[in-house]
Amino acid sequence: MQEIRTRYPKYDVLKEQEHWDEHTREIVKKRLGPFPKNNFLSDHEADMILSIAMHIVYDNRKDILDYVVHHMDTTISSPIGEDQRKVGTPEQKTLIRQGLKAIDKLAQQQYNASFLEIDPNQQLSLLEDLQKGKAQQLKDWQQIPQKELFKKLATNIVSAYYSHPIVWSEIGYGGPAYPRGYVRVEKGLTDPWEAKRDDKE
Amino acid sequence: MTKNNNDYVTHDCDHYDSHRLNHLNKRKYGDEADVCIVGAGAAGGVLAYELSKAGFKVVVIEAGPFWNPQTDFASDELAMESLAWNDTRLVAGSDPLSMGHNNSGRGVGGGTVHFTGVFYRFHESDFKVKTQDGVADDWPISYQDLEPYYEKIEKDIAVSGPKHFPWGPFQGPYPYPEREPISANSQIFRMGCEKLGLRSVVAPLAILSAPFDGRPPCINRGFCNQGCKPNAKFSTLIHHIPKAIKHGAEVLSDCMVTQVNVDKSGKVTGVTFVHDKKEYFQKAKVVILSNFCIETPRLLLHSACPQFPDGLANSSGMVGKELMTHVGHDVYCKFHDEVRIYKGTPVLAATQEFYETDQSRGFVRGYTLNAHGSRPLGLSQNLVSKADIWGQKLYDIMRDFNFFAQITLVGEVLPNINNLVTLSDEKDEYGMPRPIVKFSYGENDNKLIAHGIKSSQEILGAMGGEPAFVIPDTGHLMGTCRMGNDPSTSVVDGFCRSHDIPNLYICSASVFVTGGGCNPTETVMAIAARTADHIIEEAHKGESN
Ligand SMILES: Cc1cc2nc3c(=O)[nH]c(=O)nc-3n(C[C@H](O)[C@H](O)[C@H](O)COP(=O)(O)OP(=O)(O)OC[C@H]3O[C@@H](n4cnc5c(N)ncnc54)[C@H](O)[C@@H]3O)c2cc1C
Ligand code: SF4
Repeated sequence: MQEIRTRYPKYDVLKEQEHWDEHTREIVKKRLGPFPKNNFLSDHEADMILSIAMHIVYDNRKDILDYVVHHMDTTISSPIGEDQRKVGTPEQKTLIRQGLKAIDKLAQQQYNASFLEIDPNQQLSLLEDLQKGKAQQLKDWQQIPQKELFKKLATNIVSAYYSHPIVWSEIGYGGPAYPRGYVRVEKGLTDPWEAKRDDKE
Repeated sequence: MTKNNNDYVTHDCDHYDSHRLNHLNKRKYGDEADVCIVGAGAAGGVLAYELSKAGFKVVVIEAGPFWNPQTDFASDELAMESLAWNDTRLVAGSDPLSMGHNNSGRGVGGGTVHFTGVFYRFHESDFKVKTQDGVADDWPISYQDLEPYYEKIEKDIAVSGPKHFPWGPFQGPYPYPEREPISANSQIFRMGCEKLGLRSVVAPLAILSAPFDGRPPCINRGFCNQGCKPNAKFSTLIHHIPKAIKHGAEVLSDCMVTQVNVDKSGKVTGVTFVHDKKEYFQKAKVVILSNFCIETPRLLLHSACPQFPDGLANSSGMVGKELMTHVGHDVYCKFHDEVRIYKGTPVLAATQEFYETDQSRGFVRGYTLNAHGSRPLGLSQNLVSKADIWGQKLYDIMRDFNFFAQITLVGEVLPNINNLVTLSDEKDEYGMPRPIVKFSYGENDNKLIAHGIKSSQEILGAMGGEPAFVIPDTGHLMGTCRMGNDPSTSVVDGFCRSHDIPNLYICSASVFVTGGGCNPTETVMAIAARTADHIIEEAHKGESN
């Protein structure tokens, strides 16, 4: 895919972990893996989530995306509710399982191959259609609203991706800050441990 | 009022261990409570404190956990989504609301645990929108009715804010000094306002600027929406509820109320609740529903019985109707230099220059602008789910995360009878029907939104910011059990007593008649303090009769 573009190549937020409270540290470090076997997702489904995630977050690093897949599996396996669901949309478990099947069917119909077999540009164009609700006719779309499927997948994927400490470092986010907090918050000021730009023009 | 020693408590919330009996059959007021409050949020906390202090036997029943900030909270967005009411709600309408973390808390403290702490009074005009602008309806109470309670709440929790507040009837000073320093994002906002000749202030906050009541001042870690670990931000979890417990109240957490029970005479006898899959009954002389704008109508409608086939307190048919939110659009502009919106208390500056109706703008009512911080998960989630931005575009924005400044609108949405909460056929884990929450913006709302976006871009533009993107967001919920003098068009009276059932009160953001153009919680708490006074007075009247 692309080169990793960061203005903070030397910054590693994980180096600050000894300054975090224990509860937070434990939570964040779990995101580095290793991850247990998936509870709900089949291997094929997990591979599909991983490929879809590459397009949603525009990144193909497997170590990070493994956490994204793990988070998706945890969310769907959990009995906790999904905050809101549009009237007429099935529960997230069904939406995702049936949705992934429909995506495979769509790939078959359009390109004569499964989603994992078509090339990345074809995958991307298929996802773009879904997001707009304009994918080719399939009878599955009566049960699986395309836009809701896309939104559910994409929201869950970015939630995990932007909770990954490697990504935090790349965007120059200071991360957890308890108990020390931030002292220099005003314009142009940074605390000594925060990310510093290396690309200043 | 002299402060009773019971007002002084520790803040680690471990008092919970000594007061909450594991055995729900050995409850403190298992036989009968004077007052049973459903929901330990903003309103429920204030009511529990005031009523237990006045000597009432108070039981508070809360669906969610009794959090311990030290062990339960983390400096992490994803993990702290658990502070929200995650139970699935069905949404509909042309602008379906995002629920959960966006507007609903669950657990002792309710929404105050993860709220931003921006703390405003309503203006006089907010209570008489119909008289002034010919839209919506007037409240049965005025600013003057709430004024002493606003003052009391601000003192009780040591609100920090400017010496001079230039809008509305209250001009300051606030009990505690304004926060200092303010974040880069808030500085840019204030400098932009100044360039345009707009007045701005350091935001009044329910966040400490100096030690108070055994709690430390804010350390600017920026995770107010994830629960404040150091206890610098007020919540009823750390303030009102511990004090209420010291005054004798019992708090039953992890207990979901599933029914309000009534006898043949049509009076409320108590509530049914579920803990660990087992059902219990709490008898009470008075029941107060403080369980917010979705769960209150859901509970009232679900409690329908032969005497009240359309649900309790619903002879007007208004239970569930006129649900309101605030326009909450997030306006982002990009700067040449770093802003770093993750740092500091999220909101540290604001303006209410656009608050009152100005006919020349082509719409009625107005809005507040808050300089607003953000963290990576909140921003990326919103970009994907609300602004349809993903893939390379999302990546490009997020790589420049540190270069954006943000302003958030808090704009008044006019009440509309078609924005409402009803019951669906789908059941939740308690066997209660899931609510359907329907919401669409109206014409006036859309004009207000366009105006607010433009003003925000002008403010940041004056500082050299380039308009980058706008996230169509909402914030806060109000209405669904509105107050009023006329029982045929409202659910409760000006003291939050239901018109239909004399010993049933509804007291939370759900009684709002209109939404105002600013963050609502100080008004929720002032209403609750006033309702507490009313209940105390009524009881004294009863004694002397
Ligand atoms: C992210 C966020 C930021 C916010 N920022 C601000 C801000 O800066 N300023 C501001 O003024 N406001 C803010 N708010 C709004 C504020 O949180 C609410 O206005 C306030 O909490 C409403 O108070 P309430 O008492 O009406 O309800 P809540 O505080 O929501 O309390 C309701 C309680 O009832 C419980 N409950 C519900 N149903 C049942 C049941 N059946 N049985 C038992 N218990 C039940 C819930 O678990 C909850 O604890 C924010 C809200 C959110 C979510
Ligand atoms: S910014 Fe301040 S008030 Fe907010 S969570 Fe951090 S310490 Fe608490």
